[in-house]
Amino acid sequence: MANAALAKANLHALRQVVAAIEEGRQHTGKLEETPPAEAAAGRLALGVEAFDARLEGGLPVTGLCELRAAFTMDAGAATGFALALSSLVRERLRPERPLLWISEREAGREAGLAHAAGLVSFGLRPESLITAHPRRIEEALWVAEAALQTEAFSAIVLEVRGNPARFGLTESRRLHLKAREARLPLLLLRQAGEEEASSAQLRFLVEAAPAGLRRIGNFSAPGTIGHPAFRITVEKSRNPAPFAFVMEWNADDRQFYAARPDLQPDAVHASGTAHPHRSPAAPADGPDRADQMGRVLAFSRAS
Amino acid sequence: MRLCALDELAARVGLRIGQGVAEARACLPELDVIEADPNADLRLLESLADWCGRYTPLVALHGDKALFLDVTGCCHLFGGERALFDDLAARLFHMGFEARLAISATPGLSYAMALSGRQQVLPTGEEAAMLRGLPLAALRLEIAVLDGLAQAGLKRAGDIMDLPRAPLARRFGPAVLTRLDQALGREGEPVSPRLPVAALSAERQLAEPVTGEEDILALAEHLAGNLEETLTQRGLGGLNFALTLYRVDGKVVSITVRSPAPLKTAARIAGLFRERLAAIHDDFDAGYGFETVRLAVLVTGPLAPTQPDFASAGRSDLSLDDFVGKVEARLGGGVIRVPVLNESHVPERASALAPYSRDDSPQRPGWPARLRPMRLFAHPEPVEAIAEVPEGPPITFRWRRTFHRVSRAEGPERIEAEWWIDGEAASPRDYFRIEDQGGRRFWLYREGLYGVGALPPRWFMHGVFA
Repeated sequence: MANAALAKANLHALRQVVAAIEEGRQHTGKLEETPPAEAAAGRLALGVEAFDARLEGGLPVTGLCELRAAFTMDAGAATGFALALSSLVRERLRPERPLLWISEREAGREAGLAHAAGLVSFGLRPESLITAHPRRIEEALWVAEAALQTEAFSAIVLEVRGNPARFGLTESRRLHLKAREARLPLLLLRQAGEEEASSAQLRFLVEAAPAGLRRIGNFSAPGTIGHPAFRITVEKSRNPAPFAFVMEWNADDRQFYAARPDLQPDAVHASGTAHPHRSPAAPADGPDRADQMGRVLAFSRAS
Repeated sequence: MRLCALDELAARVGLRIGQGVAEARACLPELDVIEADPNADLRLLESLADWCGRYTPLVALHGDKALFLDVTGCCHLFGGERALFDDLAARLFHMGFEARLAISATPGLSYAMALSGRQQVLPTGEEAAMLRGLPLAALRLEIAVLDGLAQAGLKRAGDIMDLPRAPLARRFGPAVLTRLDQALGREGEPVSPRLPVAALSAERQLAEPVTGEEDILALAEHLAGNLEETLTQRGLGGLNFALTLYRVDGKVVSITVRSPAPLKTAARIAGLFRERLAAIHDDFDAGYGFETVRLAVLVTGPLAPTQPDFASAGRSDLSLDDFVGKVEARLGGGVIRVPVLNESHVPERASALAPYSRDDSPQRPGWPARLRPMRLFAHPEPVEAIAEVPEGPPITFRWRRTFHRVSRAEGPERIEAEWWIDGEAASPRDYFRIEDQGGRRFWLYREGLYGVGALPPRWFMHGVFA
């Protein structure tokens, strides 16, 4: 199946080359600004070395990538991560074009609507964001495809809720190819969704992570909530080794940073406990109190 | 039950309006009785009014039985008043309506003529002579007034036209004179059209009815091309367009589209209709075809001419407007929205998602630098929270049946209600920024104060931080 899809993609690419030659597009091309080096490489470095190295240079700036939040209560973190990524793409590659955030109506009802003042305090500019609220998943896919046909946007975020049956492997393959063709990043933001086979090149599981402390000068104020942190688990990529990483988003610098080493997931093993957040399982079907000392069992009489 | 309307045959047999159904059945056992449905009658009259839009844009409903058409300036398109009259009469007859028509200088006189059977086109200047012979009952007067006039022996309009006006008004009320003056044109009677009149419109009558969507779109593009020059001369572009299709069997289909920015290029206008037609594909019934197609520009906006240059060729931000127009034509208005900040300090009012419109005015600068959640719930959701000290942040809370233990909290930030909207009794809110043990950050608030009011304060979840 994978081979067939690959062959199809190759065929599609060849057809495009032929069409371009037939139209003579190469000779009568319009005046185009030279794309920045990052766009040429097809990767956007996030500035966090361990993460970029794991992703072979950074986030791919064309095609479909999936960000998954396992529960609705992680939707805030996933939204923040998706918007931070797409605004980095916008800023570095196509600063004059807005972002498009397509959100299925049910997703907005369940996890809340975009809040302009919140976008500002997260370091984004609300006027550079355009939201679309289609009623059904088919309409959302149609809007995404229409957006990929225009040159109006710098990046597109498509938010769906759960794993809708109408958005399967075929549809995601189609969107991925369209996004590749349009040379645009399309981030699929899946809230409360399961792992699912899709055509996304990458899939991250996004969870909230405890934030660092608020820093005042060189002093970390205890008990405060600092820059938002995300725990990113790479679930699907070309490199099969499991990988999780905690990153902080600095809204003032508009830049990702690695979280403190003691907050990283691999620091867990150093600290001695294998599962620091897991409490021991509650006993099931057992007595609710300890046995009394000297309890007499039903031994048969000795004499 | 009584008879309220009769067809031709029943009238010839001798039945009367107002007669009891039992009596009528006794006279004519094979009588078909259909229950009256005033709403359906009104819908029929309205659809007929839509259909009359082919003659003039100024069509008004009068009561539940009459239509006024203001054909001033429209007659030459049909070859004169007489030709228009004949055309309308013929078409109505073939659609199966029994209609009475009259054309004259005033709506009142036309109505009176039609009602009393003088179906004709009245030349200008003969209004008084015509009115003189018409019965007073045709003058749209109330029954009580008519009875009073009849008791005085006044039955025709001519009887009261020469009487002194003051005693007439004193005895029978001012309505008599008003109606008389309106019929004679001494007093104006505005006809308020049912639908707003389009700023511009172009129309094409077809010898052969069209049914295919592609043909209709080609016609729309052609009509838009006709309008383009006028729009350019006026420096305008269209914002709302309506494509009105007159079906052969009298049904009128109207398709409206909206563009976020003024538009005059024929291909782009047709592109909007293409999306709209694709959206309503299932409901769109071409039947035996459309014989007349009209494209109207309902709302216009100023459109400054732009000069194309090489550097920006093909990649202007016009494509954003095209995208929005396309999506809204397909999925309906209000799908594309932009976050905007309003002048309010209550969070749910401070930010809104407004419909996208192309607005070149720069955004207001001062965005407030407050810490606010990324996503806000349209309706704050009640949570069960337990606080350590009454005025302090919660230590545990239950939201959507999930238990959260608070690890850190910042706050409170007190936000008072807006007394000019919420009333003076509205409680203040104390907002806390909270991180639970999983690292998720929430925005909770406590509504109300301890020791004030009969009910204890309540906790709500209002948004999630990134």
